Amino acid sequence: MPGFRVLIIESDAEEAGRLRDLIRACAYTSPSGCTVPAETWCVDSFAQARSMIGRVAPNLVLFGPASARVATAGELRQLRQQGGLAPIPILFVQDLKSACAGEVPKADCDDIVIKPYNPGLMEMKLASIRRFRDFNRSLITQRDRLRRHHADFLQEQANAREIFGNLGNESCLDDTDAIRYHLSPRAVLNGDLLAATYTPDGKLVLMLADFAGHGLAAAVGAVPLTSIFYSMMPRGFSFSRVLREMNRKLFDLLPRQMFCCLVMLELDPRRNHLRLLNAGMPSPCLVRADGAQELFVSRHLPLGVLADDQVDTAIVNYQVRAGDRLFLWSDGIHEARNLRGEHFGEERLLALLRKGAESGEAPSRELQDFDRILVAVNAHAAEQHDDLSLVELDLSKPSLTKGDCPAVDYSGVRRGGRIGEWSIEICLAQEELREADPLPHLLSVLVQMPGAVRFREDLAIALGELFRNAMEHGVLGLDSSIKNTDEGFVRYYDLLEERRQQLDGGWIRISLRCDDWGGGGELQLQVEDSGSGFPPCTRSGRGVYSGRGLAMLRTVCRNLEFSPGSSLVRAVIAWGDGQPTDGENGGAKTVQTPTVPV
Amino acid sequence: MVVSDSYTSRVYTEVADDGDTLVIRVSGNFDFNMHREFQRAYRNVSPPPKAVIVDLSTTEHLDSAALGMLLLLRDYCVEVGRDGDEPRVELINANSHVSHILSVSNFDRIFSIR
Repeated sequence: MPGFRVLIIESDAEEAGRLRDLIRACAYTSPSGCTVPAETWCVDSFAQARSMIGRVAPNLVLFGPASARVATAGELRQLRQQGGLAPIPILFVQDLKSACAGEVPKADCDDIVIKPYNPGLMEMKLASIRRFRDFNRSLITQRDRLRRHHADFLQEQANAREIFGNLGNESCLDDTDAIRYHLSPRAVLNGDLLAATYTPDGKLVLMLADFAGHGLAAAVGAVPLTSIFYSMMPRGFSFSRVLREMNRKLFDLLPRQMFCCLVMLELDPRRNHLRLLNAGMPSPCLVRADGAQELFVSRHLPLGVLADDQVDTAIVNYQVRAGDRLFLWSDGIHEARNLRGEHFGEERLLALLRKGAESGEAPSRELQDFDRILVAVNAHAAEQHDDLSLVELDLSKPSLTKGDCPAVDYSGVRRGGRIGEWSIEICLAQEELREADPLPHLLSVLVQMPGAVRFREDLAIALGELFRNAMEHGVLGLDSSIKNTDEGFVRYYDLLEERRQQLDGGWIRISLRCDDWGGGGELQLQVEDSGSGFPPCTRSGRGVYSGRGLAMLRTVCRNLEFSPGSSLVRAVIAWGDGQPTDGENGGAKTVQTPTVPV
Repeated sequence: MVVSDSYTSRVYTEVADDGDTLVIRVSGNFDFNMHREFQRAYRNVSPPPKAVIVDLSTTEHLDSAALGMLLLLRDYCVEVGRDGDEPRVELINANSHVSHILSVSNFDRIFSIR
């Protein structure tokens, strides 16, 4: 228990001695039970007191009757300032017999001790001052502790934010002007999460997620989510496979009452095909070139709620047309409240987008809609209640095609390295086909080859096309012509999902053969399926292998062969000089079978 | 997602006439501030009810924290179900705003909503 120190200011030595005895006689028992007598110091003037205060740090200053009479308000103020945060109570002695009693600056002292002294009263006053001193001290201790905790907490959040920020380093959000986004966290850490990257075959994948809760817990959940996204997507795992993986991981990690709402989309800019899953987020709005709006309502539970969940049935497919733009937002925008507590709501947003479509030319509109929404939300919201995110995606902009994006860096790979001579064959049966995702495995083997980055994207596209065709047309027997209308397009993908779930037979065999003659080479891909084979040749180009798929294959392959009645397709990707230096070796491997030119 | 400010909200509980059904009514804003009261409403009910009905007729708004609390209630009922009959959970009387939130989150897939 710290002692109680009293500084007595009194010019009359006899009077000072009397006060000191009086104070020493007062017994005080602290809340902790020990009795410590007060320590006293006597000085005879205010000037002396000032020089003592720093040294003594008194808990109480007592002005004796003579000193009290001459004390000024200014002096008392100085005294208080010296006390700093722990205020020093100031007591005046007032001599009732003295004529000048009225001159005491009463308002500036804390209490008055009346002379002649009453020891009982004095004891009470001192005890009460001590209690206040103890109380004040514990408050300051608590404040300091809180301050320290708060500083630690902010530091922790700042560290977490840095980690969180680094997670986004892999994103391609800033590589294209077709994506505009605004994220504004309510706290240091953002519960909203935006990520985008490309698949090996050049599809853009974008995810906007919102964790229940914000701050640290939400950011912690973002770590596995982002790392799954950025590790699986660029390796070519399928959209639904990645989503299932995310759901599983979040279910394992998150406390029961936490979950993650999310919109994830995959845009194939070459085929103008958009796939989208909405799990509990506000509906993204597709604004067509003519201003028509379409909402992608949530068709799935938030991720992390159920242990194992089929996401496929909730994925929607969409054919993109020139001028289509997609707006995504988190519920921070919906729930922005004004002073009357009214939410901003979806209706206001859609109205803003409608207004945008009605006014002006398309190019000026693009910037306006995005900014206008933000301005309107900020104008509406009295204060920010939640993380607020807005994303605009121009679906038909050419800059969405990966082309210029830096390829995933497989460090240590020499571009001119030898790829080698090898072959692989994989056969997938019905069980595997239901969940089929052979591309990432094949691609991950292939990128191990030095120099393979040179044809990585071509290979991903060719393999993807060949596999999809074998699966959709061969094994599942779907007819591409269903896709010719908008409704048919959606119907086609619904049918695809339905038939895949019910698949009880069939197989796909994929074989790869690589020839490397130094400075150039060829990769031969063969894909065969259990289907009934291609229908009799349709030279018009229409039919099973119709449309974009074929065109895409042709852009990446030097050679493409398939025969009617057969279900075997052979494609060749070439690089470098294109001609083997050793004619015998190279020639033996390009077996020419009678084929139908396509 | 929002953990909203406290408005005047309350949790009321009653046991329905048959004695086996626990009715929990949440008034006002069903949000994070309710979590203690909401948990208290169904935990420590002995014997456990055969059904828990969450009456949302006086719920004005419901946020993600409330959805989380409903998941906890569902988990609790599964837990109780290990030793006997699993109490059934029903959400009833949601206003249009609240049902919209429930349907956006697709909670109708894991709860019976009337």
